[in-house]
Amino acid sequence: MIKALMWLSAVSLMATPVFAQDVVKIGQIEAQTGPNAIYGYMSSQGMPIAVDQINKAGGFKVGDKTYKLELISPDTRGDPKEASIQLKKMLETDGVRFVFGPFLSNVFVTIEPYAKQFNGKFLLMGGATRIHDFLGKPDHDFLMRTWNWDAGPKGFGNLMVDRLIKDTGAKKVALLIQNDQGGKVLADIYLPMFKAKGVETQIEFFEPGTKDFSAVLAKLAAGKPDILFPGYSDAALYDIVRQSVEGNYFRRFFLVRGSLGPGLKNKDQIDDYFVYVPKYFEAAEKTDPKVAKFVADYKAFYKRDFPYDQAPLCSSSCYDHVFMLVEAMKKAGSVTDVAKIRKALLSMTYDGLWKISYDEHGEEIFNFDIVHMTRGGKIAVTSVEAR
Amino acid sequence: MVQLLIGQALNGVIVGTLYGIIALGVTLTFGITGIVNFALGEFMMIGAYLTWYLVDVAGLPFAVALLPAVVGAAGCGFVADQLLFRFTRNNLINGLLVSIGLISVVESGALLLWSATPKDMSYVLTGSVQLATISLPEMKLVVFALLAAVILLTYAALSRTWMGRAAYAFAQNAEAAMLMGVKTARLQSGVVVYSTALAGFGGALYASLYSLEPAMGGMYILKGVEAAILGGIGSPLGSLVGGIILGVTEAIGSIYLPSAFRDAYGLVFIVGILLYRPSGLFGSDR
Repeated sequence: MIKALMWLSAVSLMATPVFAQDVVKIGQIEAQTGPNAIYGYMSSQGMPIAVDQINKAGGFKVGDKTYKLELISPDTRGDPKEASIQLKKMLETDGVRFVFGPFLSNVFVTIEPYAKQFNGKFLLMGGATRIHDFLGKPDHDFLMRTWNWDAGPKGFGNLMVDRLIKDTGAKKVALLIQNDQGGKVLADIYLPMFKAKGVETQIEFFEPGTKDFSAVLAKLAAGKPDILFPGYSDAALYDIVRQSVEGNYFRRFFLVRGSLGPGLKNKDQIDDYFVYVPKYFEAAEKTDPKVAKFVADYKAFYKRDFPYDQAPLCSSSCYDHVFMLVEAMKKAGSVTDVAKIRKALLSMTYDGLWKISYDEHGEEIFNFDIVHMTRGGKIAVTSVEAR
Repeated sequence: MVQLLIGQALNGVIVGTLYGIIALGVTLTFGITGIVNFALGEFMMIGAYLTWYLVDVAGLPFAVALLPAVVGAAGCGFVADQLLFRFTRNNLINGLLVSIGLISVVESGALLLWSATPKDMSYVLTGSVQLATISLPEMKLVVFALLAAVILLTYAALSRTWMGRAAYAFAQNAEAAMLMGVKTARLQSGVVVYSTALAGFGGALYASLYSLEPAMGGMYILKGVEAAILGGIGSPLGSLVGGIILGVTEAIGSIYLPSAFRDAYGLVFIVGILLYRPSGLFGSDR
């Protein structure tokens, strides 16, 4: 009996590492609750679907081994301290080598000093705007940014501002931006951009969680700008757009973050509503079978309606990115050699919901849409191939 | 500039009544049960989401949806009281911990049910009232009138009905009130439920003005507590006045100073008032 137990223990001990090697753990650090959950919501919704589909298909083969994925996805609640603890656990306890997120810049700047100690040992693939500043810097090979950059000759923001000036002839723009890391970055990018194109600007910041914007809208409107550039999440945008038209402060809007939803809601009161939409799902669903399948898969997986207004945010660290990582592992012939896998990611173009590639520093480039809505809800969509 | 100031002062008054209704719930709960119920913001959120659901999903008219939304929030308040708060009576720390825990649970539940996507209810009234060059949204005026009426009616009920006087008596001397026949357990539960109903009512009206998200209650409970302290804990009228002062201070402050620090302007004002009146504007000096 004792011998049998000893055999059993020995077999179990031998079996454990074999089992562990067959699972690739991927982590995700995003806010799933809290005031900025809107930015982590779609990522945390899309990744489980991808993981489920890959695992249900029997996993993926690298070399002669078949692997399955295990997703570790705690809720940061947008709290940098919470995210730091979660990342530490992933890297030091769970042995995670691939972490998706964060989307929030304030979370990223807090975890960055810790994360860089693990340079070469893992990949951090997030959409946070602040990640851009660290790409290509020494000791930051672990970083990849999963979102189009705004500035530069091919930056989506640059293309949008050109479009705005061409279509509306705007000479003065009022910016109303959330007072946090993400908002400050937007100001740093767009104020010089407008200035370089000869457009005058005025700017006000608002506290996260603000709901009543009447006072600051009245203050901005007093400067008589041509258009309002509000940022940056729908939680604020619904209120900003509504209060702008109700108080007769603004009827023309230009957005580089946020959705079409606030414009549609007030479609009979607005004159122009320009918005950067990584993908206009309502239209793409009808023409692209991959998009239609994703929408159907989402509904089946979560047994609820598809969140069309949030879905464009799935362009960052979400569904496609899991499949892309798996393809990169196959190409690299390894699930552990982080440098090889990064090299594979940088050299490939993944054709999923989006056509995704990376530049030499690890910044994502993907196709996107510019939606211009005019009074009554008339929509014109321009698809832009970013590369 | 004068028109801008007047317009924003009026807007501040309207927004302030929303702070006031939460402050009233805070002040009543604290006075009768001895706890600061930080979860009141969550009952406001429940009232708001129920209203949105009844109007936008179930298709009820807004005026009809108000009552079930308030009853729903009060029902949740009753359950929370029976399962949690009745075990924390007169224990500030325990009550605080329970209410903070409840925030996490309710917020997570709301996120699960309704996701983080903001819900923007169908507009009830879309027009604006024009006073010279000042434009005030009609719905804001309706919300102001309803909230002010409820706060004033609560004040009247507290000062002119037996139940109200019993509540005051209990707040002043619990033992004496008990000896006089006040059913204390029922009174305490009643106040918790009424406070959550007030928060639910505030939430239902909030839904007609602003977009909804699961974390919305957090900011309003802080404003409610600030307004209650400013007005004086225990004073229903103080809640209204405290809320209005807070709303006006924020609105006017945002015009002259950077709006990024809007919340701080109200706090600075509170500090200034409390230096001279530590028990708040209408609070008792006892």
